[in-house]
Amino acid sequence: MTPPAPPAARDASRRRFVAVAGGAGLVTGALGLLGALARSVLPDVLYEPPRRFPVGRPADFPPASVTLVSERRLFVFNTPDGFYAISAVCSHLGCNVNHEPGKGFACPCHGSTFEEDGRVRTGPAAWPLPRFSMSLSRRGELIVDTRRTVGPDFRLKV
Amino acid sequence: MSAPRHPEEPRRPGDEGSAIGRLWKNRVVRSIFRVGWPRTRQARLRAMLSSLVLHVHPTRVRAHVLRPGYTLGLGLVSFYLFLILTVTGLALMLYYVPHPAAAYRSMKDIEYAVTFGMFLRNAHRWAAHAMVAVVFLHMCRVFFTGSYKSPRELNWVVGVLLLLLTLALSFTGYLLPWDQLAFWAITVGTAIAAYFPVLGPQVRYLLLGGHEIGQAALLRFYVLHCLILPLVMAFLVALHFWRVRKDGGLSAPADRLHRRVPAWPHLVFRELLVLVLVLVVIHAAALLFDAPLEEIADATRTPNPAKAPWYFLGLQELVHYGAIFGGVVVPTALVLALLVLPYLDTHPRGVGVWFAPERRVANGVFAVVALAVVAVTIVGTFFRGPNWAWVWPW
Repeated sequence: MTPPAPPAARDASRRRFVAVAGGAGLVTGALGLLGALARSVLPDVLYEPPRRFPVGRPADFPPASVTLVSERRLFVFNTPDGFYAISAVCSHLGCNVNHEPGKGFACPCHGSTFEEDGRVRTGPAAWPLPRFSMSLSRRGELIVDTRRTVGPDFRLKV
Repeated sequence: MSAPRHPEEPRRPGDEGSAIGRLWKNRVVRSIFRVGWPRTRQARLRAMLSSLVLHVHPTRVRAHVLRPGYTLGLGLVSFYLFLILTVTGLALMLYYVPHPAAAYRSMKDIEYAVTFGMFLRNAHRWAAHAMVAVVFLHMCRVFFTGSYKSPRELNWVVGVLLLLLTLALSFTGYLLPWDQLAFWAITVGTAIAAYFPVLGPQVRYLLLGGHEIGQAALLRFYVLHCLILPLVMAFLVALHFWRVRKDGGLSAPADRLHRRVPAWPHLVFRELLVLVLVLVVIHAAALLFDAPLEEIADATRTPNPAKAPWYFLGLQELVHYGAIFGGVVVPTALVLALLVLPYLDTHPRGVGVWFAPERRVANGVFAVVALAVVAVTIVGTFFRGPNWAWVWPW
């Protein structure tokens, strides 16, 4: 059996334990509180318009036309090959681009211009205007899903 | 308390028998101000020490820093503008409703249905614009007089943070009127934030409380503008003032460090004079010019050109050349350079005078950068029209 430690050494080790435990508790408590606070400010539920929505019936879009759906901030193209949707939100800094038929798109904020198919022609924008996935609902409405972007070959045949 | 007056000496405020002298005898007044109207040297020191407001100051202050041409009073003016913004802002908060359906209408109420509402809003807007400009000029003054050098490095850093806070307060305040100007300025500003590598999109999501500028974003900007940022600002202002004292007062050249005069009346009355000037200017601006309020925010219609507030038009001009270059690289580099500057420049000479010859290079570099900031701001403000194309303003 080992002899008991002298009282001074026992005191020192007890103080050390209390200091370490106290410090760890303080750090853990502070980090926990800050972590909870930081996480809480990222909302889990959004009261925003849905990002997948109907834009109308195919018959609402005349053949060979470009229609601005202004409240959804996108253009619906009806071509002989089918439908596709191009975002009206500039890929540069989020202003609405204006469509000039046959000449493409122009952004009023920083002067980016885009071709008729959404590719960048000039200006600070680095990426083309995104194209969104489209589908036809069972009720016969065109559905745009802005969470899913698609390539330039996408066409929805109706 | 007062020294006996010579019979031929003209009567002055605080003398026996004068109005102020009688006032100081009043028991209620004496319970508030324990020192009488200070006339002797000792009473002047005690006056500074015994008042909550005045004891922020030293009892004696360097004669060098009292010359108007040295500091130009810019730090003090910034502080006064912050006070004016706090007071007018609190008044506006009583009528403003931070909800997209009501915000614009409450702005119209403030303008047309609240007595002096238009005046208060104007004063708040012009004081905010003035504060951005004056804080920037204050930074230039501190740089050109070499006042960021040891032992004032930390206070320079605090000052840079205060500049950023001033811009953040202006920016968050800009969304609140919920008009077209506000909506599109914030659209552009938060889109710039999204360009930051890795965390950018999350920062934007955090700032807006969602993917779009809507109710969540308005509430967040409101709380940031009215509570979070002002609290941080008040704390940093206190730290800034405290460090001025702890770093030995405002800077002065080595041969003028020791000539001091009592803060009462030399400093106190100069400060009051500056306060009068600031109040007169803000009153005049608020009475003569109305703060703009455009049409109600409309996410479907971008005005052409869509411009940020003027202090961000330099940024918008740079962003025109490339979002990552203008929105991320240049501002980050500028802020980092400002933050590390006092730790890189360890040369001890050239403190306390404008444009010291020893500091020709440092002052030259700073002047070029500061003028470049001013230049791109002017270009963005006056020389850019629809589709951000060149226009001639005249």
